[in-house]
Amino acid sequence: MEWKTLQAKDVHVAYYGEDVVSGINLKVSSGDFIGIVGPNGSGKTSFLRALSRTLRPREGLILLGEMDLYTMPVRQVARALAMVPQDNPISFGFTALEVVLMGRNPHLGRLQGVGPYDLEMARNAMEKANVWHLADRPVNELSGGERQRVIIAQALAQDTGLLLMDEPTQHLDINHQLTLLEMLSGMCASGQAVVMVVHDLNLASQYCGQLIVIRRGREFARGTPAEVLTSAVLQEVFGVGSIVTRHAVTERPHVIFLPAGNGDLEHPGPRVHLICGGASGASLMRELLERGCYVTAGVLNLGDGDEEVGRALEIRMAVESPFSHISEEAHLANLELIREAEVVVVSDLHVGSGNLVNLEAALQALTWGKRVYMFSPRPIAERDHTEGGAAALYRRLLREGARETADREELLGEVVGERRESG
Amino acid sequence: MEGTLSVAERLAAMRRRRVAVLSVLGLLLVLVVIAAVALGAVYVPIATSARIIVSRLPLLGRLVDATWSPTQETIIISVRLPRVLLALLVGMGLALAGAIFQGLFRNPLADPSIIGSSQGAALGATIAFYFGINFGWGGLSAVTLFAFVGAFLAVFVVYVIARAGGRVSIAYLLLVGFALSSFLASIVSLLMVMSEDRMHNIFFWLMGGLGTGSWDAVLAVLPCIAVGGVVSVIFAKDLNLLMLGEERATQLGLEARRFQWIMFAVASVVVGAAVSVSGIIGFVGLMTPHIVRLLTGPDHRYLVPGSLIGGGIFMVVADTLARTLIAPNELPVGIVTAFFGAPFFIYLLKRRRHAIA
Repeated sequence: MEWKTLQAKDVHVAYYGEDVVSGINLKVSSGDFIGIVGPNGSGKTSFLRALSRTLRPREGLILLGEMDLYTMPVRQVARALAMVPQDNPISFGFTALEVVLMGRNPHLGRLQGVGPYDLEMARNAMEKANVWHLADRPVNELSGGERQRVIIAQALAQDTGLLLMDEPTQHLDINHQLTLLEMLSGMCASGQAVVMVVHDLNLASQYCGQLIVIRRGREFARGTPAEVLTSAVLQEVFGVGSIVTRHAVTERPHVIFLPAGNGDLEHPGPRVHLICGGASGASLMRELLERGCYVTAGVLNLGDGDEEVGRALEIRMAVESPFSHISEEAHLANLELIREAEVVVVSDLHVGSGNLVNLEAALQALTWGKRVYMFSPRPIAERDHTEGGAAALYRRLLREGARETADREELLGEVVGERRESG
Repeated sequence: MEGTLSVAERLAAMRRRRVAVLSVLGLLLVLVVIAAVALGAVYVPIATSARIIVSRLPLLGRLVDATWSPTQETIIISVRLPRVLLALLVGMGLALAGAIFQGLFRNPLADPSIIGSSQGAALGATIAFYFGINFGWGGLSAVTLFAFVGAFLAVFVVYVIARAGGRVSIAYLLLVGFALSSFLASIVSLLMVMSEDRMHNIFFWLMGGLGTGSWDAVLAVLPCIAVGGVVSVIFAKDLNLLMLGEERATQLGLEARRFQWIMFAVASVVVGAAVSVSGIIGFVGLMTPHIVRLLTGPDHRYLVPGSLIGGGIFMVVADTLARTLIAPNELPVGIVTAFFGAPFFIYLLKRRRHAIA
């Protein structure tokens, strides 16, 4: 276990030029149990992926000991730190034991088979993760929670000093959650370290020694659970009212959330549906989120730049297969999102026959009484690949009450101001 | 209940079962080769065929007395054996490439002729034929070298396009592969039409057949398939890791990108060698790894050698049918493999309908 410290220095992570993590610092040393918390789309997962050598930061440095993580051989990294990703679909029929043994890979030579020591490590890991009884079962037949625990066992079998975990408790029942976190604190007590993205603030409070609250890609607060988990912070970061008490047994902070007064308090701004594509909507997504809007988007093709950013920001989207025309099904899913939104924004997307139907969705939004804005720093004529069909739809949208603007600030102001006027 | 068996014992049992499967396949391969050598226009009794072959082996050769006629020996050694061995090597190569592509793309429908690599090899070889490029490089002819390059470029193009967005979609991969295959095939046809006098040669070669089977061809292909097979066995563990996805494999200590390129190169060498002697023969690379996977499980340490053996069996049987079914005439062997392979492909498509959407 060649493990000293892991340090993130001013790390920025970007998708398609859009920063989802902007300047986070972190130092992990032996014994640390660090929880990363924050609302959806705040950049927690992207930051953890950067720490695990999976997603190269746009800027900033990650040091393992004295070495730049991204110049180290991956084998060496895999002997020092193990990652548990959020979900890992395995489609081929390896047994759970075979999958866990793959965790021994960084310790084995190319032609070296698994030895008795590796088997012992795998068995230990599987017993700790409570999947030893599943050893002979093909993983693709296991339930979500069982598969999650197999992946945890795989990471434990790597026998690393540092564990990075992305919501390791998410598919687990309460019993397995507690067992897992109990085990992780035991590991930290004996000199290992864990960095974990976690949604359940009370679990984080009970087990983590240090919490980092991330909002909009930046550190908002950091410290012990008692320092960080206050009503004021929760109100500011999650937009949720809460009472923080002390846990009767552990004396750690215990959060009780108050029922939301008027719907979605995490997003004080209006609910906005964004019609975009290419990479035209990525910056709008972020700006709307930052102004407190609940953002949805569609229809986007899988693998499209906007779809990637949307996925990183964890927003709900109506999607279509890569490079395909938008199907009836995707269109209906899109209309469903539009129906739930208050405002529809059409980005300066390029329109072809494949996505023309997205403009019809905007027309539908007008008939439902939604406010529709077209953001057109470049006129539609330059982005119309349908021989005038799109331009005609734009004209019709304008006739029926949509607004068009080329000014980003004006657009955002009007979209966000909307609720204040009506409310 | 599980406690009664230790992990080591359990793994050993699994390993023994898989080794047993491979041994049975290997034995089957030997029997199939001997039967294939015996069968043909002139039937040479199986026992005699076997003894003629053994007599040519080092050491063992002294143990058999020559009780057969010189004609029989000529038929077996100079005519049938090279052809059967060539079929064996081509089948091994295509099945190996199929196993590699299915692993790299994590896609059960990948096969050298479906994702365009065979057609790339064919175009490379055709270009060498057409322009009469003729230089040798040890055992490697210009035709073979051009076939390697063609196969590699085709896979490269398909992979880069199908990867758009970071994930390889199955439907998209098949469509891109299909489009590229057709495109490359059209260029081959164009060259054929333009090359009137030499067209005849190219045409027959492209139909897919092993009629040209000679010891020279066997010796040209053998090193490529051997190297490909050995490298794949060495990297089998890494192919397993890649099944967890590129990202997870990297987290477990595999340089996934670099590894993918190595395997693309290996598969291209193997496909190029196979196509340069036999033309385009479809479905061997698709079917064999599937059937072997049912027997050995998904572990590439067994799947790779199993596919090598299985592809050899499949191809030797198919070629024997091709040259005996309508004797004295011969069917192109591609017809035989497609006859069995195409329905199997449709069966797979139906079974995996959900995964393909």
